[in-house]
Amino acid sequence: MNDHLLSIIVGAPFLAGVLLLLVDDKSRLLVRLLSLTGGLVPLLGAIEVARTWDMAKGGLQRPEKYPLVPSLGIELSFAVDGWSVSLLLLTGIIISTGVMASWTLKERSKEFFILLLVLVSGVFGVFVSQDLFVFFLFYEIAVLPMYLLIGIWGSRGKVPARGPFAFVWKRFDIGGREYAAMKLTLMLLVGSAAILIVIFAMYFEAGGKTFDLGVLGHAHYPRAMQLWAFPLLWLGFGSLAGVFPFHTWSPDGHAAAPTAVSMLHAGVLMKLGAFGVIRIGMLMLPEGAGYWAPYVGGVAVVNVLYGALSAMNQKDLKYVIAYSSVSHMGVVMLGAATMTVDGWNGAIYQMFAHGMMTGLFFALVGLVYERAHSRQIPTMGGFAKPMPGVAAFFVLAGLSSLGLPGLAGFVAEFLVFVGAWQSQHWWWALPGILGAWVTAVYVLRAAKNIFFGEGPPAQYHDLHDARRTEWAALWVLGACLIVFGSYPKLILDFIHVATNQYLPRIAEAASQLALKQ
Amino acid sequence: MPTAFDIAPLMVDLNLLGVALLVLVLDLGMPHGRKRMLGLTTSILLFALFIGTFWMDASGSAFSGAYVGSAWTLMLKRITLIAGALASLGAIDHVDRHFPHRQGEFYLLLLFTMLGMTILPGARDLILFVVCFELMGIPLSIMASYAKADDRVGVHKHAAEAGLKLYLVSAASTAITLFGLSLVYGLTGSTKLAVIANAHLSPLLGMGMLVTLAGLAFKVGVVPFHMWIPDTYQGAPTPFVAFLSVAPKATGFAALAAVVLVAFRNDAAQLGPVLVLLIVASVVIGSVMALPQKDVKRLLGYSGIAQVGYMMMGLAAGGEYGTSMLLFYVAGYVVTNMGAFFVLEAVAPNRTGIVISDLNGLSKRSPWLALALLMFLLSLAGIPFVVGFWAKLYVFMAVYQAHQAWLVFFGALMAMVSLWYYLQVARAAYMVEPSPEQAGVKPKVAWTLQTAIALCLLAVVGMGAYPRPFLDGATAAARAFMLTK
Repeated sequence: MNDHLLSIIVGAPFLAGVLLLLVDDKSRLLVRLLSLTGGLVPLLGAIEVARTWDMAKGGLQRPEKYPLVPSLGIELSFAVDGWSVSLLLLTGIIISTGVMASWTLKERSKEFFILLLVLVSGVFGVFVSQDLFVFFLFYEIAVLPMYLLIGIWGSRGKVPARGPFAFVWKRFDIGGREYAAMKLTLMLLVGSAAILIVIFAMYFEAGGKTFDLGVLGHAHYPRAMQLWAFPLLWLGFGSLAGVFPFHTWSPDGHAAAPTAVSMLHAGVLMKLGAFGVIRIGMLMLPEGAGYWAPYVGGVAVVNVLYGALSAMNQKDLKYVIAYSSVSHMGVVMLGAATMTVDGWNGAIYQMFAHGMMTGLFFALVGLVYERAHSRQIPTMGGFAKPMPGVAAFFVLAGLSSLGLPGLAGFVAEFLVFVGAWQSQHWWWALPGILGAWVTAVYVLRAAKNIFFGEGPPAQYHDLHDARRTEWAALWVLGACLIVFGSYPKLILDFIHVATNQYLPRIAEAASQLALKQ
Repeated sequence: MPTAFDIAPLMVDLNLLGVALLVLVLDLGMPHGRKRMLGLTTSILLFALFIGTFWMDASGSAFSGAYVGSAWTLMLKRITLIAGALASLGAIDHVDRHFPHRQGEFYLLLLFTMLGMTILPGARDLILFVVCFELMGIPLSIMASYAKADDRVGVHKHAAEAGLKLYLVSAASTAITLFGLSLVYGLTGSTKLAVIANAHLSPLLGMGMLVTLAGLAFKVGVVPFHMWIPDTYQGAPTPFVAFLSVAPKATGFAALAAVVLVAFRNDAAQLGPVLVLLIVASVVIGSVMALPQKDVKRLLGYSGIAQVGYMMMGLAAGGEYGTSMLLFYVAGYVVTNMGAFFVLEAVAPNRTGIVISDLNGLSKRSPWLALALLMFLLSLAGIPFVVGFWAKLYVFMAVYQAHQAWLVFFGALMAMVSLWYYLQVARAAYMVEPSPEQAGVKPKVAWTLQTAIALCLLAVVGMGAYPRPFLDGATAAARAFMLTK
């Protein structure tokens, strides 16, 4: 059975982007409908993949292979495991809702949607690639359009220049969109440089014949190489996942980015980083992972707490959400570092849940900003009266974010904390839970300051609720949070099958490491 | 059995000479108003010759082994031919507008410098080597100062500086190379590379080797022999700079390969550290000096110095693998860099100096030019799915295999630095609002220049999307090079 469904999923957004090049800039509706098609086709494809995925068989399904550079053993090789299924669904949902949420974009909308669709093609490509090199290629495609997306369509945050280095802030226009775009691009590409070395190392250590993940995964890399290679991957992919202290691009970037881009970037792209650490780092280099896991976990704990505390101190609404992403990605990395079934299930599930939640958050923040033309929380208040729908969904996303049982965020965090408790470092669970508590503080406080109380102040006279396609985006994401929160089995089954298949080998390698020590 | 009179391996070069003579005759007979046709004729004939090379077998040796043709030399001839064809195509409008009475000479000089370039890769004798170098170098200096007598192009002294610097450096580098070669000849008693290769390495021969290398490094513009590049680029006519920035580099690397991998192949251990030093210096100085540049042509000049460093990586890695990656890099660089200069010519056709702010708001004034420029810049920076990415990747793989993993990291890191200044140019085109004077001005681009840009864009994207045939070609060429050394 081979219907090229995965190629369609990866190719459809790209194709839609190419078609958009030919469409006239002025036919706004056609541009949007085409972009939406480019998002919906992969979503439907992902649902079909999930529906036909053989749970009993597990493993990699729907393989597709096309030679790309045979002399070096590079081939376009696609297949899905249980993890990929859930992440494909997530990406499909986020891009579809992202297009709907940016329906009213005015400036140069055609180019915007083209870049957005190209980026999403890259994301889909990373999740289904079974060839290390192609994986890296798609990873780069997903990262690079961001420069233009933020640089052209981004907005400015208020970052006051102060202190002895104020002149530096002014010189580089810190807080500006071009600064954010450049910072993000350069930081992520330095990460890519580190990844590239490890890719070469794996390729040549495994014989220099193929980049196939299956073959590379079963090669026996010398311990010394694994020990230096894993931290490079951790740094490389981790910089995209917002690992402390390489997270600093994330608040600036997310705050400056336009709505759909923040949704995609925080919702899906940061997951690429975490996915890379687990899929490439931990699965390919198990001994290195075993050695470095305590450090990964330790840093992840810092991420959770530092992100949450930083979010608590922000006045700019987008920075709050951006720092909360840093905190929640810490939970993903913490789950990965536990090297337990529950921890890994939780990590992947957190990617899924946090994607939905942060997507919803950024969509809402975009709506508020578009109407209020300000993101300064202290100046707001009483927004719930003119925009009750936005307020309701904000609270819903907030509750999921702080881990209220019944919503998707809870399932993920619970699993991660259980995993942490079972691991060799049980105490990791404590700061994790503390982070969840801090989250409750800043999310509820933000909701209170913006939407409730007296108001709205006089300068906000243009407020109104969501409209047409914006409603669709909010309802879809909100419904997902509730459905996957109250019935996690829908996604968790896929994840569990894959985890069960990968983990024993990794755990064995890690325990052998413990014996040697 | 090679004889002195077997000239079949030089078929391509003889055809090129034929084209040059034809242009010379046509120039004499053509009335003044129609000289524009000369450029078109040159370009079409060069394209035809380029296509014709795919049916030519130019392997074998000529002139008693002084010249050895193979798939390697054929590939380099193709690179030169395509660069020449694109350069003449892109230059037609510029030359017609600015030097209407000196059109014939322009194309003639171009064809003669190309003749030197096509023969040089096959030269296996020091004398032929030097002759080719001179044939290639002297016309270039003349063309560099072409803008000197033109009233509209602006700064005369820059044009004079462009030509003079190139000439002096070229002459000095030839003198240095000759000095080195005379040492080598004196110690080995032969001008044949194959004989030199087997000579015992003495301190004096080592010095001859180093001096020769320095002379060649001048030609490709490796640090510390790079000073002429930015000034010459700034002052010379832009379409010519497009040619100057790529074709001599391709040939220069063929010469370097011949010297490093053939004549001194047994002394790789001694030569390796020198090459690494040149690489690091070129990449660092090229990248760092490009950062503050405001003039785009100077910026591309410095970036070219860094690019040469990356090409040297392929040379330093050596062997069939390294050589093929070097060749692929050069081929990709030719179309990319030429395309970038052509876009500059399209945006500011009446000037030799172009500052970054001239590009402001280009994406609104001319979306396709802006897109083309973006693609060329991304390719120079080594971003996936344009040819520059594969080029960088392949040289990195080659150096990794040559057990220089740290060079990979260094190279990738410096590529990030280069991305910063390439994006400064892209930023002007995409993110900066045009000034009121600029806003209404849509660049008017002649169809010939448009075609040249389109061809470059097609090559950059095409080689990026499907590098396989080009890589296979480069590998075959490198294998031939290794066999015929």
